[in-house]
Amino acid sequence: MTPHYRAAFQWQSRAVLMRHFTVYRRNWHTAALPPLLEPIILLLAFGVGLGGFIPELAWRGHSVPYLAYLAPGMLAYTAFMTAFFQALFAAYIRMHYQKTWEGQLITQVRLEHVVWGEALWAATLGTCYALIVILVLAGFSITGWIQLYWSSALLVLPLLFLAALAFASLGLLFTALVPTIDHMNIPFFLVIMPLGFASSTYFPLAGDSLWAQLWLTLNPLHHLAEGVRLLLLTGAMNQHLLIACGLFLLMILVLIPIDERLLRRRVLGEG
Amino acid sequence: MIFSDDLNAQREPVLLAEGLVKQFAGRRVVDGVGLRCQAGQVLGLLGANGAGKTTTLRMCYGFLEPDAGTVHVAGIDRHADPETAARRVGVCTQDDTFDTDFTVRDNLVQMSRYFRPRPSALKPRISALLERFGLDRYANQKPDILSGGYRRRLMLARALVHEPRLLFLDEPTTGLDPQARLEVWELIDALRREGLGIVLTTHYMEEAERLSDELLVLREGRMVAAGQSRTVLGDLVGEHMLVLEAADPAAPAVREWARQVGLPEPSRVLSSLHLALNGPGLAQFSAQFGDLRFEVRPPTLDDLFLKLADKS
Repeated sequence: MTPHYRAAFQWQSRAVLMRHFTVYRRNWHTAALPPLLEPIILLLAFGVGLGGFIPELAWRGHSVPYLAYLAPGMLAYTAFMTAFFQALFAAYIRMHYQKTWEGQLITQVRLEHVVWGEALWAATLGTCYALIVILVLAGFSITGWIQLYWSSALLVLPLLFLAALAFASLGLLFTALVPTIDHMNIPFFLVIMPLGFASSTYFPLAGDSLWAQLWLTLNPLHHLAEGVRLLLLTGAMNQHLLIACGLFLLMILVLIPIDERLLRRRVLGEG
Repeated sequence: MIFSDDLNAQREPVLLAEGLVKQFAGRRVVDGVGLRCQAGQVLGLLGANGAGKTTTLRMCYGFLEPDAGTVHVAGIDRHADPETAARRVGVCTQDDTFDTDFTVRDNLVQMSRYFRPRPSALKPRISALLERFGLDRYANQKPDILSGGYRRRLMLARALVHEPRLLFLDEPTTGLDPQARLEVWELIDALRREGLGIVLTTHYMEEAERLSDELLVLREGRMVAAGQSRTVLGDLVGEHMLVLEAADPAAPAVREWARQVGLPEPSRVLSSLHLALNGPGLAQFSAQFGDLRFEVRPPTLDDLFLKLADKS
């Protein structure tokens, strides 16, 4: 294992991760509101509100209520967006404004540990927020608004962690590249928002053109949303889960060393 | 005393750096610099802006990897064993890099978590540090309420939480008022007396003179002088500093005389002209300009700094 990946398992990365956890734990009462309320609001607005006008949706030969279609997509979207947002905005603020990274780098912690600590924290938070969405969906289930295969819901958590880690490594790439915090609008609105919606999260995607096929084949968020949806709606293990797994692993293996190199240049002026 | 007794027993230098080289974007910002600091000694690193002080310091404490050269901390090769070397080093950076998400006390606790083996008897040590640095009354508050002087104290306390043997201070009193600066000096002086090796960079010549046992002067990334302040001044400035009014009608003649005898151009400081001279030069000047009103004083590090800045 090369030093890029070995650092993920070293105590320094855990120390960075635990630092973020400690800060979060102290602010939990305000920090936990968005992940708790956002899915409720979105499920009510889109699932119940908009879904009221779309009684049934044709999906893979099935007819499903829009709320049931939306719920797994929101799980994927939450893990994706939370991890990316943390690795982009929160990490940038710690790096640039709070100088938390510099304070860590004068100890036994090295840059590769800071990178892994940030990525692991973003992934942890993304998974926790997805778990909150699962709990909210469970509440909806009790009311009888939604019918899902709940035994499968917890099975997707490890995959959501992997997905969040991959999207965190993408977020750190932009953290390394954007010149100022204002420039974050560029990746956020030109890459992340379109990716978040055009990935079978909120509506089904299909197309026969080469570009559509390429997009659907290589888009990890599409595979995650569809894989989780198939699992929760039909209870079936499926190839989308496997493809998503492979794409996320590839993203992590490729992006983390790039993040490290670019951040080394940005933070230390080296490379 | 908050440091272990065996500190004073150490004979090998706590810092030995040799032949340090660092390039950024193809430009050598540090070129062949060497440092040596013993336990209980303060080594002052002097130079104008851009001389390479901070980069040299960063290579010594491991923030940057040197392109060439070696760094040994308490006998440990930093390149071969960076983790052990980092365990022996405390750093007070130029900017405040304490963690604004934690209280003053928790800043020290959090800092200790970045070191293995974990500092022993941590709780009493943190209490002792808070008391020593006058931070105990702010222990449960966030650092953003602290004044500049107390922020520096927190940075110092953070740098000491893991019982380092070598302390790096990068411009530790920049931006402080005279009273706060004096207090920080006293703290640094006490740490030196307890046997800690200290390497500091500063722009304040009085600070360098009062705190440093040895000086190392950098110019454009290279060492230009090293030793005790008198030696450094003698080497780089001269034995005497002659000061006369720039508006004196004889000033042009003095400039011309300096040019003829091969001295550098007298430097203008506000309304005065400053000219560095050795003993024979001063005698020659007195013989030539006996009627002129002038003052002769020993050179100071301010003179050195102005000279370095001028050449840079």
